[in-house]
Amino acid sequence: MRRNGSNGTKTALFQCDRRVRFLTTKSAAQLRRTILPRSVALWGSLALVDLAILAVFFLLIVLPLLSVLAQAVMPALFDPKAPGFGIDISALNHALFAPRVLRSILHSLELGAAVAVTATLTGGLFAAMTQRFALPLRAFYAPVPWLVFLTPGYLKAMAWVLLMAPGGYLAQLRVLPHWGSDAFFGLGGLVLVHTLSLFPLPAFIIGSALTGLGQDIEDAARLSGAGPWRIWLRINLPLLLPAIALSMIAIFAEVLSDFGLAATIGRSSGFGVLTYGIYAAASDYPVDFPLAGAQALVLLTLILLVTLGDRLLRRQGALRLISGRSKPSHRRELGAMARWSWAAVIVAIGILAIWLPLGVILVRALTATLGAGLQWSNFTFANFTETLSPRAMALPSLLRSFGYAGLTALIAATIALILAARLDRGGPNLRASVTGLALGTIAIPGIVLGFGYILVWNRLPGFRDWPFPHYGQASLLVTGYVASALPYGLIIILTAVGQLAPSLTDAARLHGHKAAARLVKVVLPLVLLSVISALLLTFIRTIFELPISQLLVPQTGSPVPPYVVRLLGHDDDGLASALALVCMVGAGGIAGLGWRLAQKHLNFTPKERLS
Amino acid sequence: MTAALICEGIEKHLGGKAILCALNLSVAAGEVVSLLGASGSGKTTLLRAIAGLTHPDHGTITLNGAQVFGPNRVIPPEKRQIGMVFQDYALWPHMTVLGNLAFALAPQRLPDAEAQARITHALEVTQLSPLRDRLPAALSGGQQQRVAIARCLASRPQLMLLDEPLSNLDSALREDLRSEMMNLVRREAITVVYVTHDQAEAMAVSDRIAVMRSGEIAQLDRPETLYNAPATPFVASFIGGFSLLHGHGARGMFQAGDAVLNLPAPAGPAVLVIRPEDAHPYGKYPATGLTGRVISAAYQGRCWRLSVSIAGCTIRLDWPCAAETGKDLQFSLPPDRCCILPFDDAPNPKDA
Repeated sequence: MRRNGSNGTKTALFQCDRRVRFLTTKSAAQLRRTILPRSVALWGSLALVDLAILAVFFLLIVLPLLSVLAQAVMPALFDPKAPGFGIDISALNHALFAPRVLRSILHSLELGAAVAVTATLTGGLFAAMTQRFALPLRAFYAPVPWLVFLTPGYLKAMAWVLLMAPGGYLAQLRVLPHWGSDAFFGLGGLVLVHTLSLFPLPAFIIGSALTGLGQDIEDAARLSGAGPWRIWLRINLPLLLPAIALSMIAIFAEVLSDFGLAATIGRSSGFGVLTYGIYAAASDYPVDFPLAGAQALVLLTLILLVTLGDRLLRRQGALRLISGRSKPSHRRELGAMARWSWAAVIVAIGILAIWLPLGVILVRALTATLGAGLQWSNFTFANFTETLSPRAMALPSLLRSFGYAGLTALIAATIALILAARLDRGGPNLRASVTGLALGTIAIPGIVLGFGYILVWNRLPGFRDWPFPHYGQASLLVTGYVASALPYGLIIILTAVGQLAPSLTDAARLHGHKAAARLVKVVLPLVLLSVISALLLTFIRTIFELPISQLLVPQTGSPVPPYVVRLLGHDDDGLASALALVCMVGAGGIAGLGWRLAQKHLNFTPKERLS
Repeated sequence: MTAALICEGIEKHLGGKAILCALNLSVAAGEVVSLLGASGSGKTTLLRAIAGLTHPDHGTITLNGAQVFGPNRVIPPEKRQIGMVFQDYALWPHMTVLGNLAFALAPQRLPDAEAQARITHALEVTQLSPLRDRLPAALSGGQQQRVAIARCLASRPQLMLLDEPLSNLDSALREDLRSEMMNLVRREAITVVYVTHDQAEAMAVSDRIAVMRSGEIAQLDRPETLYNAPATPFVASFIGGFSLLHGHGARGMFQAGDAVLNLPAPAGPAVLVIRPEDAHPYGKYPATGLTGRVISAAYQGRCWRLSVSIAGCTIRLDWPCAAETGKDLQFSLPPDRCCILPFDDAPNPKDA
């Protein structure tokens, strides 16, 4: 999953977090009253752990972000020749009102608003039809939202470019007229591909709200004489409005922070958006950090506003209707005609969103040139041979990506576990601040975080010459990966630790077990499944992570995502397709296998027994 | 008998609110003392303070002669050798029954033979030997509770704390398990502090009961004493479904509304404690006759449970025959069973 494919997880995680129990065992006042010298030393060292926790967050996330903000208002701050602390809003003004930047802002807003509507409509329809009606061909559409959710956006974009390009497959099959191709490269194509990539989000949000509504409400309306259309318009739709609004907000934020589509379809059609603007200013020669900083400031402000809107909506308790009490709804039967036509619509969404793009990538990977199309003589294994050949560039980048992702997953999950165990018993303030930071970080676009890393590690004195991690080396890329993965891991593991009844560790304590034994023997085995989920999720996310990889490409060689995008830019889309496929199959296989094994061996207890 | 547990002047505040106020409690070795109170009365906080899972602001806690908490001394819970049966049992779900017992014993670093003997004994007395290799999830609620007790027994604690150990079980099981559990505890002569909000349970298990109210012990006595002579209207209202008739004491008489009872009563506001089973036919005790209006009548097998309104108070009575709702009912109380207490303007604990 790419970094900016995050709001769905974010939504789910917000909901988890509300359930996370706040545990206050020891207040600071109590601690001060504990006079025994040994315990003073003990608490002293624990306070050090707290400091270390905050230091990790500061270094990984806060400092890069602060640097970006400072860069926006102090244009000379990171100037290599004459650095200065002068605050100069005029540079910001100039950057903001440059026609190119203004256009990027407008494009971002326009695209976000359009996709918020189209994706919510598509996802809502998908959720309503699949949850409330008995449709045939279930196997074809049931896994679609998850598959779409886990496939990185730039790969779906690549498939659609192959389909819609003037010389692409649809033009070759004479399905697509010339004007269709023109319309695709611009707002239209971006809206189409974004909609098809993002509709799982509203499908999840609206779907879970629908589950919460239960059947009783509908049954009551039917007994009062309301027909099915009336029930949907007068009962279900108004009750779903909060979920619909949340979906639109989530989609809007998602589109604003997207980099995958911006760097592929957006770039090739000249449709500049903020994220790509930041990338271009920060990495295309000549680099223009003040310009990148100004655009990052605008993007962060927009994201902040959206997050505030989201928070306000949630605070109003608009989603309270989702209660555990409602009876699960059963799927209603439809007439044969309606059944099959709705099934066709849902299956069509599934085909367009995942099966067709995957098929196109497979066909392209198995053919020599795009121009020769589907002719039999064009089919070849050459792309796969080259991908897997030890002497070409693709295999090393593949191995590199798997290595970085594995390392990132291990580091992030370990840090997250220690943090979670400490936070669970820590004061409510520490817990609230770290959880808030983690949730806040999820909303930060990867491209902004990556830019912050460049500012800190390439320009900031002290950091610039620091040997490890070092700018331009894999160590910094992995650090960036860890920073962007840590919040997810932390929230998953924190939720799991929070669901453990405190009596489980209290009991171990009363029997004489020390803190380390309690963590290793009681907490870890019980949250291991969640730790492994966090690990696998981080692994997949990192393998396909584009924006940070793009900005922090190590000198030793590129990981897969930037390499795929570069191959696409050089019209080497056959190799790009083969590499992407091998990467997807490899990552999916490893994650699937790991998940299966973990489920089989670590799931010794039904969840409700833990609480 | 020596005191196994002494709590002196325990105080605890949370968020500016007093949870425990200058509380004193002493438990003799081998004694079972219940902490009985409504939720929020501080009973669980006291239990957790004894265990060391929370620290009081002031006071001392002494366990078998050794101070475990005091102004200059805090022994952490893992060193106190206290066993606890949690409300949710807190069985480690990833360990078998045997694994739970073994893990609990591990920190004591006993010789293998001794550890083995203790585990075997604990499993035998709790009749868990056939289930030793099961995971907690594969046990019934009652079996899980027995594992929690076996885990405690195996570590031979100085003191055993039971935190509402029966509240997660259905009522049919509860009584059986209660006697089974207490037989075990008695046989092993373990000192027990037992937290519950169910007065019938407290009566059944305890040598003494501490009735708790907003962080203080309202009365600490043997169950019979509590039943026969509650110290305050609060304790009376908490015990045995007693009803309180509010009135006044004057010139050695108790007066409630129109009724005047020839009973020694303290001067000023007072309450008459009426136990449901004490209602007798009107003529039987002429000096203590009362008349009230029947509000409701419910058949209970052995008798009818009537709610009767007298002078604005609702009194619950066990009556041998049906009574018509809305009609007057006359009854009398045995004078030697009548208990009149000065009214201390206490709110009903159930409202708290």
